[in-house]
Amino acid sequence: MIGLATRNFRQGRARVALTIGGVGLALTLILALDGIFAGSERQITAYLDNSAADVWVSQAGVRNLHMSASALPRGAVEEVAAVDVVASVTPLLYVTGRVEFGAQRNLAYIIGLPPDAAAGRPWQIARGTDLPGPGEAVVDRVLAEQAGIDLGGRVTILGLPLTVVGLSENTITITNSIAFVAFADFAAVRPGDAVSFVLVQVLPGASAEDVAAVIEGTVGGVTAQTRSAFAGQERRVVRDMATDVLTVMSSAGFLIGLAVMALSVYTATLSRRAEYGVLKALGASSRFLYGSVVIQALLGTAGALAVGLAVTVVLTAVVPRVLPGVALAIAVDSVVKVAIISTIIAALAAILPIRQIAGLDPATVFRKGAAP
Amino acid sequence: MLLSLLLAGFESGLYRQLAGYLERTPGSLVVAQQGVDESLSVTSVVPTATLDRVDKTVGVGRAIPIVAQFVILDVHDRKQPAYLVGYEPGRGGGPWEIAAGREPAADDEAILDEILANRHGVRLGDSFDLVGERFRVVGLSRGTSSWMTSFLFVRASAARSLLGAPDAVSFVFVTAAPGTDETVVADRLRAIGGLEVTPKAVMIEHDRQVLARVFAAPVRLMTGIAFVVGSLVVGLVLYAATVERRREYGVLKALGGRNRTLYLATTIQALVVAIAGAIAGVGLTAGAAQVVMAARPEFAVTIEAPALAVALAASLLMALLGGLVPARLIAGLAPADVFRR
Repeated sequence: MIGLATRNFRQGRARVALTIGGVGLALTLILALDGIFAGSERQITAYLDNSAADVWVSQAGVRNLHMSASALPRGAVEEVAAVDVVASVTPLLYVTGRVEFGAQRNLAYIIGLPPDAAAGRPWQIARGTDLPGPGEAVVDRVLAEQAGIDLGGRVTILGLPLTVVGLSENTITITNSIAFVAFADFAAVRPGDAVSFVLVQVLPGASAEDVAAVIEGTVGGVTAQTRSAFAGQERRVVRDMATDVLTVMSSAGFLIGLAVMALSVYTATLSRRAEYGVLKALGASSRFLYGSVVIQALLGTAGALAVGLAVTVVLTAVVPRVLPGVALAIAVDSVVKVAIISTIIAALAAILPIRQIAGLDPATVFRKGAAP
Repeated sequence: MLLSLLLAGFESGLYRQLAGYLERTPGSLVVAQQGVDESLSVTSVVPTATLDRVDKTVGVGRAIPIVAQFVILDVHDRKQPAYLVGYEPGRGGGPWEIAAGREPAADDEAILDEILANRHGVRLGDSFDLVGERFRVVGLSRGTSSWMTSFLFVRASAARSLLGAPDAVSFVFVTAAPGTDETVVADRLRAIGGLEVTPKAVMIEHDRQVLARVFAAPVRLMTGIAFVVGSLVVGLVLYAATVERRREYGVLKALGGRNRTLYLATTIQALVVAIAGAIAGVGLTAGAAQVVMAARPEFAVTIEAPALAVALAASLLMALLGGLVPARLIAGLAPADVFRR
């Protein structure tokens, strides 16, 4: 059965290539979109993950950085600092705004850093400093290079003309970059004296979870989360927003893959109709013939899955170079999902040829000569 | 083709949905913090003292201040982004269609989008938490949803308190008084200082550009893959058709039919397949769009003429590429084989 299936499937190299390529790319559609969202999840938490803060303190009820605003009274900074086992506190100002490199405008998280910031600084610097002073800014290297700006260049952030003193790495995502300015500059254009977040470092050996709980218990009007809990909340934003889109795209990829595979197995069966008729006439059981069709479909989807994965791996390497800010990450659960989809495609694609074989009259084969 | 059109449809539908608020709110000029000429992605802070000066500017017929900010709602263990709009019910800036209930009369009252509310089983009178405060749903708005975000309306004073900005608004929608030149009013407003005054249509276009920057890369990638898949499908269909008629092609070759004639035949077949596929693709996309929008009303799929033209052009290109495969098959066909078999 396997020999027959393999031989039938391999006949017509062009058809095999088209089938595996077509289904493989249909699966790539699913894998690539999954990969974009998985990559976005990593990107969106990069600042939190590398913030060097053990606990993030925000306005009560604010559990996200993305698409959020937080305002804490200045007094909260001292109250948090007074909590036992707190080693350092760094007040941050934060807003979603624009970085203007001449005519080029980019969306950015704007972070206002105090001069003694113990946490929240850019974590990887390509050139220059990681802590901007008044009138200065640290911006993403890729965006700066695209705009032809280097250290000493001028950018406009929050409406302020600033000098670039640092170029940071890995501070660009699919939606925005991260730009750092001096706390004083930020505060000057923001009414009131609130801060956005307080970043807390705890003493060695202390539990971040415990400190977060103590801060929430003792400082009024705040939400305190460990760095990992905060990052988890950020990932959920991407995940929850992506679910519907991924479902639609997965369905489209599934239908396209199914159409290609069904067409291919149908063609293979059609071109070997005479052989199937002969096998039937010689007493081959229907189960044998059906099995060979299913195996053909499985061979095709296995090949397609391999192609889909290979193309996605290539995309993960190529896309970030071609489209800065877009990162793809291949997640295990995505591969498992696509493998399941492939198996379903194989099973469904076999139905039509099976019906074709089932309706095949061996006598007809001999009457017609039956060459396709 | 279906996939390309569906992706383009999602993208343009999203733009329309998110532009809905600006389009429906009265006013032809949008006043914001200096340097802010887009509404969705950037935070704007205009001091209330400046708002008073806007109100008193000669030629300003109507000024609608709003406090606006993206927020993340935690509903039913899901993160739901929402665009919070704080407005003064007497001045405007709220929802343009209330499907049920009324406008908020107190600072702990809110209007939720009806699709968002239905999706999470929220009804009039129910309560929800927003940035640490409890709000009661007193109204449900219509036409204020998208898959990315929904609009959420509270009183301006409640929004100021939530966002920790008691003395500020975000944007002011200005309508010039009858008989007053809008550009003159805009210049007078700019003269106040610290303000960006942008025609509403321009702000809508800027919002669209920001969204396009976010979505363009993944959509382009997906559309590119869909294009290659489409070419392969056309190739496979024609390959199947050629395999079925291999004998006939062989006979034609044996009778002196030139390869060029046979290539022409497969190219015409390819074009027929492409045109039929394009027609089917448009129909299927329209059907799929209806299914998606019926199942998930927060999605809007808008198929626009330029996207249609691009998809049609792409399908013709796919046909030409797909036609190469059977052409190769025919080229390698030996006429004698037909008779041997």
